[in-house]
This record gives sequence, structure tokens and C-alpha cells, in this order.
Amino acid sequence: MLISAFKRLSLLVCSALLATSVQAVTVQDSKGPFSLDYEPKRIVVLEFSFADALASVGVVPVGIADDKDKNRVLPAVRDVIGDWQSVGTRSQPSLEVIASLNPDLIIADISRHEAVYDDLQKIAPTLILPSRRETYQDNLKAAAIIGKVVGKDTQMTERLAQHQQFMDAMAAKLPAKASVQFGVARADALFLHTDDSYAGGVIQALGMQTPASDRDDSAYRQTSLEQLLAINPEYIVVGNYVHPSIVDQWQNEPLWSLLQAVSHQRIFQVDPNVWSRCRGVMAAEHMATDLARIFAKS
Amino acid sequence: MNAQRFFPLAIVLLIALSLANLLFGAVSLSLPEVWQGLFLGSEQHFTVYEYRLPRIFLAMLVGAGLALSGALVQGVIRNPLASPDVLGVSHGAGLAAVFYMTYFSGASTDWLPEVALAGGILAALVLWYLCGVHSSAIKLAITGVALAAFWASCIDFLMLTKPLEINNALLWLTGSLWGRGWPQLQALLPWFVLTPIALGLSKYLNLLDLGDDCATSLGISPQLLRLLSLAIAVALTAACVSICGPIGFLGLVAPHLTRKLVGGRHQALLPATMLTGACLLLAADLAARTLDPPIELPAGILTAIIGAPYFLWLLLRMK
Amino acid sequence: MTHPLRSLSLGLLLSLGLVLISWWNLFAWSVVPVTELDVWHAVSAFDSQAIAQRIVIDLRLPRLLTALLVGASLAAAGTIMQGLTRNPLAAPSVLGVNAGAALGMALVSTLPFLYGALGTSIAAMLGGGLAWLLVMLLGSAWRMGGNEHGRLVLAGVAISALCAALTKAVVIMEEDQAAGVMTWLAGSLADARWQTWQSFWPVAVVGLIGAVLLTPSLNLLQLGEDNARNLGINLLYSKLIGSVLVLVLVGASISAVGSIGFVGLIVPHMARLLMGQDFRIFLPVAMVLGAALVTLADTLSRAVTYPMETPAGAILALIGAPFFIYLVRKRTL
Repeated sequence: MLISAFKRLSLLVCSALLATSVQAVTVQDSKGPFSLDYEPKRIVVLEFSFADALASVGVVPVGIADDKDKNRVLPAVRDVIGDWQSVGTRSQPSLEVIASLNPDLIIADISRHEAVYDDLQKIAPTLILPSRRETYQDNLKAAAIIGKVVGKDTQMTERLAQHQQFMDAMAAKLPAKASVQFGVARADALFLHTDDSYAGGVIQALGMQTPASDRDDSAYRQTSLEQLLAINPEYIVVGNYVHPSIVDQWQNEPLWSLLQAVSHQRIFQVDPNVWSRCRGVMAAEHMATDLARIFAKS
Repeated sequence: MNAQRFFPLAIVLLIALSLANLLFGAVSLSLPEVWQGLFLGSEQHFTVYEYRLPRIFLAMLVGAGLALSGALVQGVIRNPLASPDVLGVSHGAGLAAVFYMTYFSGASTDWLPEVALAGGILAALVLWYLCGVHSSAIKLAITGVALAAFWASCIDFLMLTKPLEINNALLWLTGSLWGRGWPQLQALLPWFVLTPIALGLSKYLNLLDLGDDCATSLGISPQLLRLLSLAIAVALTAACVSICGPIGFLGLVAPHLTRKLVGGRHQALLPATMLTGACLLLAADLAARTLDPPIELPAGILTAIIGAPYFLWLLLRMK
Repeated sequence: MTHPLRSLSLGLLLSLGLVLISWWNLFAWSVVPVTELDVWHAVSAFDSQAIAQRIVIDLRLPRLLTALLVGASLAAAGTIMQGLTRNPLAAPSVLGVNAGAALGMALVSTLPFLYGALGTSIAAMLGGGLAWLLVMLLGSAWRMGGNEHGRLVLAGVAISALCAALTKAVVIMEEDQAAGVMTWLAGSLADARWQTWQSFWPVAVVGLIGAVLLTPSLNLLQLGEDNARNLGINLLYSKLIGSVLVLVLVGASISAVGSIGFVGLIVPHMARLLMGQDFRIFLPVAMVLGAALVTLADTLSRAVTYPMETPAGAILALIGAPFFIYLVRKRTL
């Protein structure tokens, strides 16, 4: 602690001396203004979307709350980061493991970690932003803020512009205004993601529509076969967490064939982990690529 | 085992468990590291002083508080299967907390303990209103059970109609010491001025066992005694639950276990059950942090897992 | 003894009510528009390409039949339990059977090696049976304090809470799955199909017939154990058969639609209020009432959060819990 305090002091002095190279950045996070006067080197992130934001500008976090399952992190993000230390579940990360990593910046989620914000502040400066239940636009804003805080503002701006171009290019390959519905299937339930959800936002950003949205205001909703028939989307994209999932069971039922997506063979499978747990610039590009591949085939 | 042997042993166990809680966790520390961690400037200062130490005190207080309320409730209702749960306090607190989480999802979680506390006390007042002062103890308990079932069905209904918040709500409802520290300890501590009063009541609680008539003839109002004991149990339970969520079974198992060890005299039972409760929750929290690091299991689950085999053992011994 | 004419007219009235409720259940609150006419056409002249008619045949009909039979089974199970224990508060959900069965199913569906060995129905029955056994043992073990009714309920609460906590322990680590598991625990008829119906009805019907055959013994049991023994009836035998019937009825219902509570508590009381104390009469009435209640709850389950669905069990609990409170307050304990 003494050493790190000394380090921090010396950094402070350096930054004061070299005010031109390392400037204090101040951004607005979910708790108000947040400022940092050094470039963080040991970052711990408590949601996947933050890891995605860091990886997209080539910054490597030392710890990720990955539910003790490294496969939950987007493969493209894993390629950039290499190895990291797991700090437990996203819902209840282990504060002692976070402290043992001696981080100089923690990025936390306002929805999950507000209750431990004060404790996290005692470990290291904590940037708290929305992540869980964020929309596609929220995520882009959060990524821009993270870019500023880690001292990669210009790279992040470039990366976001590049992302916009990528999404536009993908959108050109996809049928405009098509109604595409994404859902996650488990053994006993199908959850549809509406346009308030992240996946729904990506589908809209690609110039398409999510039909379940006009029915109610929740981002994820459990759906029966009957309700799916009422929505009757043109395209259905399913992530199956298990096999046989409820969608596999429905396929044996006569009603299933009355869905327009089924009769036109427009029902597709994607990786449920990427589509429902991962969010961020790289995750959105992964989803867009998935969709382009699917539509090229159909 | 008698009371003279129980107290020293329980205190030794409590100290050993506290030490183990300081040493072990997702990161294991050595004794010197723990000692240095108590002071500012050490590498381990956060882990030891800000994280593990307040959590140990909190586990002791919550464990002791829930166990004491359990013993009081069992003493008043004169049924060893009663627990603070049968008063509907923890379910009422749970309902208030889940309502707050689902309908004010944007609001700060800082207010959650206050909301839960209000819910718990409100639930007890509803029970009091329904039963009045004069109903028999067992009727009070059964009415409490019915009320608790009602609160529970409201909780389920809320969670099912607003599935977005279901994970947060479930986590809170399982009871956990995760993320609780000095501020929570400060909020909980004042409630423990009630413990000396409860211990003072112990002599009279013994008389209740002899029957209401006997107590009345000795110049004690059984009604007043019941009301006072239950009020203390409600206040302690509501306070503990508001901080850590409903940690199940402590209030049922701890007094039970203690009664087996030190007998039913309340002068010994009440303080002994506090020690048992503290030890049980410390052990549960230690297991919660060390079983599968860095994943933190909710302590409420572990107390249930400890509770299950204990019940079976009790049944096996009852021939 | 109730007047035979009164019983007959009440019986007719109830059956008429049941038919109307069932009819309503087939088309009310549909996300895909289904009209009364569609229901009629589906039954009389089925057109397999019309969505509305397909929904009636493939979804609504099995759902309705399952709801009817689940309601009848749970009501019968509750009636038998109240008869066996001579306790007005006895019911599968109060005495831990539902919680135990839910734990059994949760264990089996999360631990693959158990799944192969048992299957969900058997697991539900085993879990429910074990929980009930524990409750009866615990409840009769402590003679101190309170009367027997209260003791059993307290034991039931303790064991239910234990099972519920362990069920939560089994599922909480899979946090994304929480909503699905909660729906299942609350009991929903939304996924009942012909397949569910086919594996459910033989067991349930056998259980129901057994329940009707048991009614004379239940009547005798009400005379008290000593009197029954003097009349030369083997009590242990009828108690054992009654318990097995309860487990079969509750276990089959739970594995078909999840854990639905409070039907077994409310319905026998309503039936007794209408028909008096004779089990031979009020058990069938309880079955009809139970069927009507669950079907009604299922219809409401589509209405409460339209266009989404709320599990029928959650709605029944909201109705049932206040009734439980009323019952407790009314009885002199």
C-alpha cells in the first residue's frame, strides 16, 4: 500500500510536471463526475461489456468478473486479452480477489454493483457505468467514456467510427426493414429480446426491426408458442443454451409449421452466450457478421 | 454437556472461527499478514480491515440476533418448531424489498435496508392486529404462518410479473453477507441494546413453561411477557434481515441445538443460543467464501444445507 | 345429512358452471385472436390450416383437460389429507408435499446422473413423500405445547422452508435460468400439450378412482381412532393407502404442470360447506370445484399481464393465502 501510494504520488508529480502528456480526465459516470489523473495500468472489470470496450482499443484488464467460466468472454476479446484472473461472479464479485490484484482502476456496473460502490472505491478509483440492461446506444456512450478514462480517447473515437462504418456496410448486405426476432431458448422456456435489449438494438442498428417490441415495454420476455405465433416474425434467430431446448420440442408440433419464418425456412441458430451475455463494439460486430452470414445463405 | 462446559467451549470455537475467517478466503493470508492488515498502509489493509473484519462482526451479530429471536419465539409459543419465520417478519421484509427493487429499479439500493425494516415491522403489526393480545400462542403462530404464506405468494407474483429484476431479488432473498461492511454494522449495532432486556426476561420465560396460571399467581402478566418477548424478537429479526436478507434456519436450528446442549432453562439458553447462532453463521460465511473461490455463495444457502442434516439427525435420534 | 334434491340441484349447477368455465377457457384472452366460433369449428369441422383452430386443438384443448384433471387431483389429495389427519389445515402445500416434490424435481433436473435413474415424475413423488414423512414424524414427535393441528402445520412450515431453501441452492448458481425455474416452481399450464396429457391422465384417473373408493374408510376415520378400531377396521391399512394416493395425485400433477399450491387447502372446505360432512358426497364435489378453480386461474393467468402470461400457480396462491388466513382465524385452535 505504501509503495503503491508512493507510486501514485510520483505519478501525480509526473503528471503535474508533464501536464502536456498526461492530463487529468474528468468524465460523467452514473454517480456524477469521475476524474483520473494517470493512465491506469491494472484494470479490473466487473461486466463483459467493459472487457469488450477495453479490448477494442487494445487495453488488457488484469481481472474480469467472468462467473468463473472463461468461455463466457467473447472469443475475439479473449484473443486480444490473453489470460486474466477471474474475480468471481458478475452478480457478487469477490472483493478480496479484486483487492489482491492491486488494481488502479475498477469499472463496475451501476445495476449490479451500486451496493458495493463505496467498498470498491476503497480499493481503487471506480468508474461506474450502466451495463446490464443497457441498450446498444448506451453501450457506445459507455465505450467512449471508458476510452477517455484509459487515455485512449483518439483510438476509441477512431474505433467507434470504424464500427459505425462496419455496421453500415453490414446493413447494406441485409434486407432493410425485415422483422428479425432474437430469442434465447432453454429446456423449458424461450425468452425473446425486444428492442430495449442489446441484441434488439443491434438488429435495429442494422436497419431491421424487432417485432416483439410493440407489445410491451420489457426488454426480455418469456414467450409461449402461442405468443410467438401472435408475433409471427419474418426471421427467427435462436440461441439454444441446451439441447433439446424448448424450441427443439416445438419443432415436432403441427403449430410450429404455421410460423411464417418456419414455412420460409428462415429460422437460424446462433451462439446464445455471445448474443445474450456479451455486449460491446466487438460483440455487436460478431452479431452483425452472424446475421450477414445467415442472410447470405437464405 | 452442561452450561459450565458449554460457555468456554463455545467461546473458544467462536474465536477459532473468527480467526479462520480472517485467514482464509479467496486469498489465503498468513498470521503476520493479518496482523499487519489491521493497520493502515499494509498491502492487505482492505482485505483484512475493510472486508473480513466487519463481516466477521456482522456474522456474529446477525447470527446471535436471529438465534436469540428464535429462542424467544420458541419460548413464548412453547413449540420447538417455531421460529421468527412463523411471525412472517422475514417474509414481510422480503416483500417490501422485492417491491422496492421491482417498482423503483432506478432508485438507489442504499435505501433497501430501511425499506426492508419497515416491511418487517409492518408485517408484525398486521399479525398483532389480526390476533390481538388475548389469542393463544399457537393460534398466533399459525396465523403468522398463514400471513407469511400470503407475503410469500405476493413476492412470487411480483417476481413473476417483473422477471427483469428476478436475479437481484432472488439474491437478496437468499440472504448473504456479501458486500456488507462497517456502515451496516453501525446500523445494526444499536438494535442490540434489546439483548440485555431479553436476557432479563429469561427468568420469567421459565415460568411460562409452568403454565399461565402459575405465572399469574406469581404476579407476572403472561400477556405482557409474551408481547414484550415477541416485540424484541420481531425488532431483532427485522433489523438483521434488513441488513443481510432472510438467512434461513438460524432462528430454528440454533436454539434447538443449544437446548440439546445446555437444557431448557432460559437463563442459560438465551446467552448460549446467541453464541451458537454466531458460530453457525461464521462457519456458514467461511464456507460461502472458501468452497469455490472466487465465487461467493450466499450464506443463506449454506445455513439451509447445515440445517437439513441436523433435522435428519434429530429424527433419527427420536425413537 | 343433506337433502338429496338439494344435493342433486347443487351438483347440476356445479357441472353447468364447470362447463361454462371450460368453454370460456378455450378462447378468452388469446394473443392470437380466437373466437367462440373458432372453438366450435375446431371441434365440429376442423381446418388444419386455420391458425385459430389449430391453437384450439393443439394448445387449448390439452391445456384445458390438464387443468381440469390437475384441479380434481389436487382437491382430492387435499380432501384425503384432511380426512387422514383429521386436521382442517392439512393440505399438500401446507404439509410440505409440494415443496418436497419441487426439490426432488430440481435435484433431478440439475444432476444428470439422477435424471437417468429416476425421471421427473418419480423424483417428484419421492421428494414429496419424503417431505411428508418428515413432517408427520416431526409433528407427532413433540407432544409439548399447542394442539396437534398447530404442531403439524409448524412442522410442515419448517420442512417446506428447508426444501425451498435447498431448491434455491440448487438453482441459484444458474442465474440466467432463474426466471424459468421460478415459473416452473409456481406451476404454469402454458406448456401443457397432448404429450403431457397422455402421460398424466392414466395416473391421475387411477388416483381419483382410488380416492372415491377410499371415502367410506375416510368417513369411519372421522369417528376417532378408538371407535374405528372397535368397529374392526384396519386403520393402518387405510392410512397407508390414503397416503400413497395423495402422493400419486400430487406427484403426477407436479410433474405435469409444476407445483400448484392451495387448491388442496381451499376446495375441501368449500365442498364441505356446500355438502356437509359425508366424504362420499363431498369428495366428488371437491373434485369438480377443484377443476373449476384451476381452470379459472388458468384463464386469469392469460389476463393478468396480457399479452404475457403469469403462472396459474401464482394467481392461485394470491387467492389461496388470504383464505388460509381466514381459515386459521375462524377455527378455534
